[in-house]
Amino acid sequence: MELEAIDAYRYRIRRDERLGMRTDVIVYASAALIEHIRRDQSLQQAVNVANLPGIVGPSLAMPDIHQGYGFPIGGVAATDYRQGVVSPGGVGFDINCGVRLVRTTLAEADVRPRLKALIEQVFRDVPCGAGGSGQVKIEEKQLEAVLVEGARWMVANGYGDRRDAEYAEAGGALEDADPDKVSPRARQRGLPQLGTLGSGNHFLEIQTVQELHDPAAARAMGLELGQVVVLIHSGSRGLGHQVCTDYLAQMNPAMKKYGITLPDRQLACVPIHSPEGQAYLGAMRAAANFAWANRQGILHFLRGAFRRIFGDNVRLELIYDVCHNIAKRETYEVEGVHREVLVHRKGATRAFPARHREIPADYRAVGQPVFIPGSMGTASWVLVGAEGAMRESFGSVCHGAGRLMSRTAVRKGRDARQVQKQLEEQGILVRSETRDGIVEEVPEAYKNVDEVIEVVHHAGLARKVARLRPMGVIKG
Amino acid sequence: MFEILEHTADIGFRARGSTAAELFENAALAMCSIACDLNRVAPRCEYPLAASGEDYESLLVNWLSEILYWTDGRRIALCEFHVHQIAPDRVSGVARGEPYDPSRHAARAIVKAVTYHQLKVAEEPGGWVAEVFLDV
Repeated sequence: MELEAIDAYRYRIRRDERLGMRTDVIVYASAALIEHIRRDQSLQQAVNVANLPGIVGPSLAMPDIHQGYGFPIGGVAATDYRQGVVSPGGVGFDINCGVRLVRTTLAEADVRPRLKALIEQVFRDVPCGAGGSGQVKIEEKQLEAVLVEGARWMVANGYGDRRDAEYAEAGGALEDADPDKVSPRARQRGLPQLGTLGSGNHFLEIQTVQELHDPAAARAMGLELGQVVVLIHSGSRGLGHQVCTDYLAQMNPAMKKYGITLPDRQLACVPIHSPEGQAYLGAMRAAANFAWANRQGILHFLRGAFRRIFGDNVRLELIYDVCHNIAKRETYEVEGVHREVLVHRKGATRAFPARHREIPADYRAVGQPVFIPGSMGTASWVLVGAEGAMRESFGSVCHGAGRLMSRTAVRKGRDARQVQKQLEEQGILVRSETRDGIVEEVPEAYKNVDEVIEVVHHAGLARKVARLRPMGVIKG
Repeated sequence: MFEILEHTADIGFRARGSTAAELFENAALAMCSIACDLNRVAPRCEYPLAASGEDYESLLVNWLSEILYWTDGRRIALCEFHVHQIAPDRVSGVARGEPYDPSRHAARAIVKAVTYHQLKVAEEPGGWVAEVFLDV
């Protein structure tokens, strides 16, 4: 497998039929990042993705790419909507894992003296859900409605403002969700978890705006230097994990029926228009809607926590909510032809440019907001989608810093208290519900998010708007 | 008998057993040890387990997914496993543990799912061995 440099920010692995490839692999990376990327199996996984029947355009890898299951994390693949396949591995277990950014009416100087009390309050009000359940108490019948209406159900039932649902990708609910395709087990896992953060890399971070790079876009999003914002990173919790587990179990036997063979069992896929493909997509959309409802629930309880500490005048407004594990039906011009495709974004964020009709009017002049969380204790970024994403990456960009070290490697010689103390010395308070949560997510475990952002900015997929610095972190 | 394996994003384990039944029991213990401290869980309640598959690989994924359903879906902390019957397409047995109590059980991580990534189940000269990666 030969990797050739196209320019300073793009690499290519040419189609090789001996590897079963139907198309090229394009990797967005700098010379420094490509050295990290070569060290794990992510490039092999991007080659495996190039094997998918009906793939349109290249198999794409973002600069935060790292080894995943089947698909690399940071991978994008579009398949022909009429004749291609859908792969649950191209969405991942955490269906509609995503990020929402919330602006507050507070400045760093207002929050700093009460930061400890605030973190404790948020930690109490927004559980991670390892043991206890969430504060959104719903019955099976209401869950049915959540799976169809997503964030809109939450807003209609008192968990938010009307504009919250409007300022989310797809308006906080995908059409054509089919709750009947969500198993009783998936429902049972999801029911007590609505409004919970989850563990792993999920977190809630209180941040301050440290740098502005695009004043017009920042103004459109209501961002100012020194302002306090909150980043929420969570997904569809056990419900989505179970949907993926259920359909992977069905897809392996189904692939035999459709005569599909692939190099990795986790890549399992079926034709989009097969009964199995339609059932998965119906369930996936329902799980995605659950995730939007979940992030909306978290925002609701976050507002309560801020009010308890800062009084009723403090306001928290949703800037936008984007998902980074999803498969969506979209249309692109590919080699001069309009193609309807299913874009699999596995650890990749939608990044529509200015004037795209699917973004809220407030942002139409500047482009869709994109939020890239860094690792715990390092910067996060606000970007806007750019034209390059429409031309070459199926409206997609990176989703994070990307892991470098395994969870086991990172635990060696570190303990949670020591990590917590180091972060405190930098003015960052951390609370975690699970013992290993803090240690496994130390900044050294990740690539430098600033390098990842440089690549997508210069490659023209997205533009830098603001850099955010953390003040307090709630970890699962 | 098991050991933890490294993966950039997540975590895996290698489990062994003198029989397929023992392998499945040890794999279950490995997964539950990643989620919480087994020493703090009392085996005072019993839960039935059953799974099916096309081969030992999918059987192991489905067996572990069944256990994950009890731990994440029903909030039960599990610490003992007994396989009663096993064939390449079917396994049944019981798990012992107790309802999850966050004040005692010290959650280490939430396991999201069991994956097919680099999955291996094999009978070797010294006994059975499996390698499994989990999404956490």
